[in-house]
Amino acid sequence: MSGALERPVPVPATGAATAAVPVLHRSRARWAWALGALAVVAWSLAGAGLFSGEVLNPAGARQFARFAAGALSPDLSGGFVRVLGTSALVTVAYAASGAALAVLIGALGAPLLARTSWGRGRSGWAGWALARALVAVPRGLHEAVWGLLLLNVLGLDPWVGVLAIAVPYGAVTATVFADLLEEVPRGPREALLAAGAGRGTSALYALLPAAAGDLLAYACYRLECAVRSAVVLGLIGAGGLGYQLSLSFTSLRWEQVWSCVYALSLLCVGAVVAGRAVRRRLADPPPAPAGERARGGPRLHRDRLLTAAVAAVAALVAWSWWYLALDPAGLGAERTREQLSLLLAQSWPPRVSGPLLGSLAGAAVETVQMSVVAVALATLGAVLVSGPAARPVHRPGPVRGVLGALLRLGLLLLRAVPAPVWALVLLFVLRPGILPGALALGLYTLGVLGRLSAEAVEELDPRPAQALAGLGAGPAGTWFYAVAPRAAGAVLAYALYRWEVAVRDSVLVGLLGAGGLGAVLATALQTFDRPTATSTLVVLVLLTCAVDLVSARARAVVR
Amino acid sequence: MGAAVRLEGVRVSFGATRALDGVDLHVATGERIALLGPSGAGKSTLLNVLNGSVTPSAGSVQVLGADPAALPGRAARRLRARVGTVHQHLELVGALRVVHNVNAGRLGSWPAWRAALSLLRPQGVAQVAAALEQVDLLERMYERTERLSGGQRQRVAIARVLVQRPELVLADEPASALDPALAGRALALLSGLAAERGGSLLACLHDPALALAHCTRVLGLVEGRIALDAPAARLTPADLADFYGVRR
Repeated sequence: MSGALERPVPVPATGAATAAVPVLHRSRARWAWALGALAVVAWSLAGAGLFSGEVLNPAGARQFARFAAGALSPDLSGGFVRVLGTSALVTVAYAASGAALAVLIGALGAPLLARTSWGRGRSGWAGWALARALVAVPRGLHEAVWGLLLLNVLGLDPWVGVLAIAVPYGAVTATVFADLLEEVPRGPREALLAAGAGRGTSALYALLPAAAGDLLAYACYRLECAVRSAVVLGLIGAGGLGYQLSLSFTSLRWEQVWSCVYALSLLCVGAVVAGRAVRRRLADPPPAPAGERARGGPRLHRDRLLTAAVAAVAALVAWSWWYLALDPAGLGAERTREQLSLLLAQSWPPRVSGPLLGSLAGAAVETVQMSVVAVALATLGAVLVSGPAARPVHRPGPVRGVLGALLRLGLLLLRAVPAPVWALVLLFVLRPGILPGALALGLYTLGVLGRLSAEAVEELDPRPAQALAGLGAGPAGTWFYAVAPRAAGAVLAYALYRWEVAVRDSVLVGLLGAGGLGAVLATALQTFDRPTATSTLVVLVLLTCAVDLVSARARAVVR
Repeated sequence: MGAAVRLEGVRVSFGATRALDGVDLHVATGERIALLGPSGAGKSTLLNVLNGSVTPSAGSVQVLGADPAALPGRAARRLRARVGTVHQHLELVGALRVVHNVNAGRLGSWPAWRAALSLLRPQGVAQVAAALEQVDLLERMYERTERLSGGQRQRVAIARVLVQRPELVLADEPASALDPALAGRALALLSGLAAERGGSLLACLHDPALALAHCTRVLGLVEGRIALDAPAARLTPADLADFYGVRR
């Protein structure tokens, strides 16, 4: 049937088959990508100094041990718990108002980024491409970078924290919203347009209802992410749990550090559990109550849980607005406009001297290497833990149950603690350089990727694996033949997505001293060398776009 | 000849529904048995009890001389490797090439390293090719399984059992997606496989004609009980009409 593709060859005389056995053709593209990826990982490990010795710093082992011991004796004194409570409120307030603003920006911006709203023809394509390119700028910069930039314009104002989340998140949300709307089938809307409905009303009746579930689910997801971003912004001074964590860290109060870590974990769990509950409900709504005909005609039923959730989020946003004392007038004030024009005037044109470009290229290479090492380690770790960390279909034995619970808790701690904090911890026992930064990023990414991989394994239909166990296959055989081949695509796609995120995050780790473009940017901002900062930002955005492109191509091959 | 299967008073419940309700069954080595009955009669459950994936709530089970539920890990694996199943929903891995899905039949005897190596460089290709040729699917050997049609996948599942070479072959509607000619061949292959190793076959079938043509004994299951048990040679159309009448 497919003889054109598979060249038949004669079977050796010893072969049992009498007809021509087909020849195995491997996918060249996949092998090329796999070998390329291995080469890049090896190059990055070498660049991180792993093979050059002198990476460990044994002198810090005792401090590290003291830090680790703090895990079992967190500071739970009344005073500190109250401090943590207030800090958590600040973090939540930043996250809620930032995410709400981002969703608003996303909703308003989505039509500008949707291919269909630009019309057909070359000019429509050009307009759309330009809009997409423009959006890469706010997307490509980490929240912390936006925080530092906004600090220069707004000074110490709560708007800094809110906008630092809202600007990059708004850009991403607009892109995703546009993509979700594009995926809705065209037919129903065209029918309405043909019947004389306006562009707006036809979208309201034919586009929004079809995409509403996905849009709301994505908005929930953004809120979860915003909690983590708010913590990171705290690290660079915006207040809240992140700020408390960095205070406790710099004063070497390990018990307090661990209390902060546990508080962060609780906050993350709360956000994820609430978000997941809403998303599950959207994906699988409960049936309408029975017996409605008996009570005289159909009535409109709203899902109480969803209505309550929407009301709660609205109340949360209103409260955050009040709690942070956000004043819209502050954004349009005379002083802000002066500062902004001053900043722009000082920042333009960017510096393009030879030595600077050389060092920027070197820093970009470091950033890439840091992110590659981080994602490679995280992927390896995620593959190893995904099996045991996945919730089994049947009631597990005691050993398996405890191991799984411990692994899930460990992954939660890894992703609740921001990567820069892991970098500081690793600096106890590692010499400074990009390796501690890469490892820190790797630990954090492992927390995320491990959970995603475990979920990918949980979602697999258990029956093929059971069928193999039924014919006598051991755990390894079952894993190789029934679990790995089906989960590999999803796990690799997640890993590639996380690589894009890791490039952005490596800038954050760099801002706090781990090298790469982040370190260059931090120096430029501290010395008020604005032209250099502009050049660095341009390189950063270009690098992020390049990584997005490579990652998208690789995902297409994996699929 | 020894007994391949010995069930006594086997009951299986899923929640409130009772899938098997006191089944006694002796299968001598070498017997080829067709299981008939309406859907929901407990045919699949009976096969799942025999391959050890369902443990009954009451009664005793002996498969090839051992109780699958009572054996410790390694011995249970060895027993399972001697029982081959063509599942109703096939349970193949679509993302794997056909050759690997067939080779999965040997996971009960292969060490882990060989199983892993085979994914990179297929092992035992000659046997896989022979099995695939028997089910007329040789040219699809290196195709991704998800690209195959339903009937082709069913034949991959049969090829998997062919390379497993079990002593007890269990087949749950192994010919449901095949045209009549192929269905007859599939049944002939499975009963030949059982005969070749001096083993036995139990196959759930919808088509009484297939059952009479390829099996030595016919069992009819209704609501978890055996309602018909007769040698195929002595079964008359009237018996079958009777049996199918009972369930209506």
